[in-house]
Amino acid sequence: MNRRPLLALLATAAVVLTGCTSEGHGDDDSTAPKAGTLRVLASSELSDMTAVLDRVRKDTGVTVRPTYMGTLDAIDLVARGKADGRYDALWLSSDDYLRLRPEAAKKVVSETSIMSSPVAIGVRTAAVRSLGWKPADVTWSQVEQAVEAGRLTYGMTDPARSNSGFATLVSVASALSGAQSALTDADVTKATPRLKKFFKGQTLTSGSSGWLASAYQRRGNVDALLNYESVLQGIPGLTVIRPSDGVITADYPFSSLASTSAATREDVRRVTEDLRTTAVQKLITDTTHRRPVVASVAPAAGLDTSRRRELPFPGSRSVADGLISAYENDLRRPSRTVYVLDTSGSMEGDRLSRLKAALTGLTSDFRNREEVTLMPFGSAVKSVSTHVVDDKADLDAIRKDTDALHADGDTAVYTSLEKAYAQLKPSQETFTSIVLMTDGENTTGAKVGDFDDFYDKLSADRQQIPVFPILFGDSSRAELQHIADLTGGRLFDGRQGSLDGAFEEIRGYQ
Amino acid sequence: MRRIAGIVLAVLLIGGVVAAVVAGRQGDDKGTATKTVRGVIGSEKSDFFADPDVVKALAAKGYTVKTEASGSWAMDGLDLKGYDFAFPSSSAPADALAEKYHARQPLPRPFYSPLVVVAHRSAAQVLAAGGLAVLDGKGKGTLKMAAYLDAARHDRTWQQLKGAAAHGELTGTLYITSTDPETSNSGALYLAAASYVANGGRVVASDADVARTAPLLRKLVSVQGAQQPSSDSVFRDFISGAGNPLVCLYESQVVSLLGEQSGRHGTDSDLVVLYPDTTVNSDHTIVPLDDAGRALGELLSTDPTLRGLAVKHGFRPQGDSAEFVRATADRAAYLNQTLTGVRQAPVPTFAVLHEMARRARG
Repeated sequence: MNRRPLLALLATAAVVLTGCTSEGHGDDDSTAPKAGTLRVLASSELSDMTAVLDRVRKDTGVTVRPTYMGTLDAIDLVARGKADGRYDALWLSSDDYLRLRPEAAKKVVSETSIMSSPVAIGVRTAAVRSLGWKPADVTWSQVEQAVEAGRLTYGMTDPARSNSGFATLVSVASALSGAQSALTDADVTKATPRLKKFFKGQTLTSGSSGWLASAYQRRGNVDALLNYESVLQGIPGLTVIRPSDGVITADYPFSSLASTSAATREDVRRVTEDLRTTAVQKLITDTTHRRPVVASVAPAAGLDTSRRRELPFPGSRSVADGLISAYENDLRRPSRTVYVLDTSGSMEGDRLSRLKAALTGLTSDFRNREEVTLMPFGSAVKSVSTHVVDDKADLDAIRKDTDALHADGDTAVYTSLEKAYAQLKPSQETFTSIVLMTDGENTTGAKVGDFDDFYDKLSADRQQIPVFPILFGDSSRAELQHIADLTGGRLFDGRQGSLDGAFEEIRGYQ
Repeated sequence: MRRIAGIVLAVLLIGGVVAAVVAGRQGDDKGTATKTVRGVIGSEKSDFFADPDVVKALAAKGYTVKTEASGSWAMDGLDLKGYDFAFPSSSAPADALAEKYHARQPLPRPFYSPLVVVAHRSAAQVLAAGGLAVLDGKGKGTLKMAAYLDAARHDRTWQQLKGAAAHGELTGTLYITSTDPETSNSGALYLAAASYVANGGRVVASDADVARTAPLLRKLVSVQGAQQPSSDSVFRDFISGAGNPLVCLYESQVVSLLGEQSGRHGTDSDLVVLYPDTTVNSDHTIVPLDDAGRALGELLSTDPTLRGLAVKHGFRPQGDSAEFVRATADRAAYLNQTLTGVRQAPVPTFAVLHEMARRARG
């Protein structure tokens, strides 16, 4: 009587332990603590540091295990206390915004700057020539004039998520407002009309620097990218210009989290010390185009060392958040999105409630002027409802439509996608995209080959509408990855994290 | 059932941890006979403690020193349990810590360093042409604090100064970059120096003094926007070519930078070190939290090798100015070695300085 439960119990313990071990070795689990390993919450663009981190591991025996995240999302995580115990250190492009949130700032100790990179504009070399620009003298006002004359379009990352986008936004606002010192609310208001014109030139948006670069290359009709110099230097065919009227520079502080132990902080100290050595600083600048912070190492060839004015970063959260909110709701092009939502029979129950919860949560994130189409499907598209977000009534209407979703029928993924493309008119006035959420494989209607043919025959401007598929339930990674690759979108995973997390992350791309 | 499984699991895991700790101990014991001393230090001393020569000199005296950097004014917010000493960059926070942790006075103050302003040559020349600075040769000069504060009071821009137009980066309001005075010592000392001048050459002591100087100090800070948390951060920005052309730093940081550069390919021809005509010293003060911490403080103050190494890192050892002058002879073009014409203002008390910083940050 007693023996069997005990055996079962030991078996359970063994299973749990095995589970822990295999998770610890997996790539996806970055939260399990491990001696000699630092769990680091890092800005997305630091994914180019792999060679440097390998070197650090050789030098110090400490493994840096990064979890990449948009800078502003990472700060939010820290502020809410969700990084405590899950991460040991923070490595963002800048801690400037973090310090504007005291509840986040107090979670961080011993910030050590590792390298620097200023905001810049990378322009297709042919466009530089046709504009007649001398790279050393170009100002933000000149960029503005070229945009107004219809001679320059550009892409940048979403300032609400990515620090490269945010630093760009602050640089442009400082320069165009004529502010002589740190931006104030009044400066932002004053600059709004000019900023509106400036952002008419933005034809590409992205939640991350990596996707921005690949979308830029794929489209071929965008003239320039605004991002950190280090990112732009890595993209072939761009002339990298630091506007002469001022830039904001990222300084990549590596910081311990206050919640960690003395032993962990000692590992952080050893890692930062190694990152500051001459050899590693040289490796950093040579492989990532960032600028060294020790005097004994010169910046890599190709990094112009002439001086630029450093624009002050806002000193108050109201200015910073006001600028982001103005950008999202007023300055940038609105987004135009069709949500193609699987409500087939297999979604019945928990899955459908999770979808409804995710969509309802998303409504608080919709921006003014945004056009949202819900296209639920089963064996075919069930309904098409479009709302333009102007006030609370529109959000309520979206919530009401969401609430009315019901699960039945088969899964006609491709037929429904084709309908979404038919629904969207390509426009220069919006960022247009399709989100596809499905919990299973295509079971009826058009087949993958049919969809490939369909896409192939689309007009060039329609082909520029990307599909962002979300993996959920039993959907096929291969099938959805193919759709993302074909249309120039990006696959998001609603299984690993949460479904609302995936919908949230896609916001940066809309 | 689940609970029991949890307990079994916990026992297994604890077993693993104990084994790891034992293994770790055995590893540590091999070949080391030194005593490990832990401390929290101001960031500007990180390089000193990381220097292999310093590590060796300390080991020769039987010490392994483990340090962690923190803003000097943020140390009172840290839990210092498990540490042997704190080493802030100023006597004011040191005295406050000593009181909190019942450390015996007098506290060891092994070395000091005056606050200076580093400038790119273009900026220094424009300041000199505008009567805000006097240059002495190519690499050093004096910043006229009263004239600078007057410019700040009137929101003077670089464009209004003669000769700035030739340098594209010299636009916008003229200001000195300093660190967050609420957490970082150099930022607080910058306010101490400015307030002394603004208060008519008297140290700020009363509420009335604080109120009188507050608007100007607020201006000096707010114009900068977001401030960095430590002098190391602003120093690194300056080195990497980013940031404002005028930065308030410790002389020690500049001395060690010049040392690093001379080891490479001559000195940076673009650097000018401006000594404010009224400045303050940062008195690097050890707060011993136990006997080991106090012994380390005495050692740093008295050991000739360690004093010499402190000079190598740009600090001025207490009680012997000749030692510093001798050791920095090769950098004399950039350094006012004897601090000629530089007035040392006293630093307000911890409470006053805190209040000044709070109001300046707004």
